[in-house]
Amino acid sequence: MNARDAAKVTLVVFLFLTVQQTLMLDLRIGGVHPDIMLLLPVAAGIVGGPGRGASMGFGAGLAADLFLPTPFGLTALVGTLIGFAVGLATVALDRSSWWLPVVSAVLVSAVSVVLYALLGSILGEPQMLHVDLTRIVVLVAGVNALLAVPAVRLVGWALPAASTEGMPTSTSTLGLR
Amino acid sequence: MAKPRRSRRPRTTLIILVVASIAIITLDARGGLGRITSGVRTVATDAFSPIRSGVNDIVEPIGSFLAGSVHYGAVRQQNQKLQNEINSLKSQSQQARQNEEQLQQITALLHLPFVGNLNTVPAEVTAYNASNFAATVDISVGRADGVHLNMPVVTGSGLVGQVVLVAHHSATVRLITDGASSVGVLYGSPSSFAAANGQGAGKPLAVNLVPAGTPLQHGELFETSGLNGASFPASIPVGTVLEARTGLTASQETVTLQPLADLTRLRYVSVILWGPST
Repeated sequence: MNARDAAKVTLVVFLFLTVQQTLMLDLRIGGVHPDIMLLLPVAAGIVGGPGRGASMGFGAGLAADLFLPTPFGLTALVGTLIGFAVGLATVALDRSSWWLPVVSAVLVSAVSVVLYALLGSILGEPQMLHVDLTRIVVLVAGVNALLAVPAVRLVGWALPAASTEGMPTSTSTLGLR
Repeated sequence: MAKPRRSRRPRTTLIILVVASIAIITLDARGGLGRITSGVRTVATDAFSPIRSGVNDIVEPIGSFLAGSVHYGAVRQQNQKLQNEINSLKSQSQQARQNEEQLQQITALLHLPFVGNLNTVPAEVTAYNASNFAATVDISVGRADGVHLNMPVVTGSGLVGQVVLVAHHSATVRLITDGASSVGVLYGSPSSFAAANGQGAGKPLAVNLVPAGTPLQHGELFETSGLNGASFPASIPVGTVLEARTGLTASQETVTLQPLADLTRLRYVSVILWGPST
């Protein structure tokens, strides 16, 4: 990734962070707000594969952690895991299909919310499991499903063209070198 | 037979980033990185504050305009002029009510009977719950106004919470309903000690350490204990008894408290310039 790509990625992360910290925090239903920062590792995983998904999840997660009262680094850890998982799971699928970002966003949002609460409780914040997880999952997954396609387009613009990382890269013949 | 072989690079990236994340979490929790992360958070919050308020200033009028346009379009067919007048009067009336409510809240903050000689700093609530997993509010005062970590925050009705993050011109307050919040309280006569714990945003407080069979009336007041090393000064109203019951074999009474401050509609609060060590 060259300096121009890095600047584009930084701009996209900043844009998502700004929208999350302004519009999304005000878009509160039943005391719960959307979390569009989860879309970044999902989109990066689809566009760039597991390595870039994990890197985006880590970077965007750390940026989000700056503004959260939860343990610092927790969002980065969850983002890393889901970015890698999405990249790996979609490696054999048609990454240009419209439904892939939507389905990925819904599944990953649900898993991420639960994983976040679980890891938080393991890391000494047991109250994180005592929230209304169903309501959070429904709202976060719903909003992320709506925004998944534009998010993938935006991340696709920022990241270099889809790489083949994580895909079979070569063949080796047993016994032969 | 040919076997596909995957690139190892993404897996290495994953391992490095997971280890880095866990290291950051651990070091931050143990205090090794605490000062650094706290400093970075302060800088980030300070840098983001004008952006946040700028975007909100832009978005709010657009939202109002769109809402107004939709409403305007719907009534155009009927009686545009009359409807506009009604809307204007309604808006004025609503604005007047809001102003009156705000004035009452601010006036109440200027005459806090329970803070005694302690100094306070009034603040506006600028945002609710930055995370879905914590009950917090952001307020408009920070280190520049004399606010520091762990200072208590109140309204005219009672205790709101405690400052957990401080930037230059803003701070984050953990509400007493947050699952990580625990407040030492006193109740009854003669006074007995208990602990009021948060159970999540919008839920009542759960009180521990009340012996079974303690006679408690619905609406009985619980105040901060202010005992040595307490996180809050004494005699701040916390909540009133919502429910008190004892199980047949229980050694403790199950007590829930309704917070006195309306934590779901906070607009203005006061930070008490008091720390556990002062």
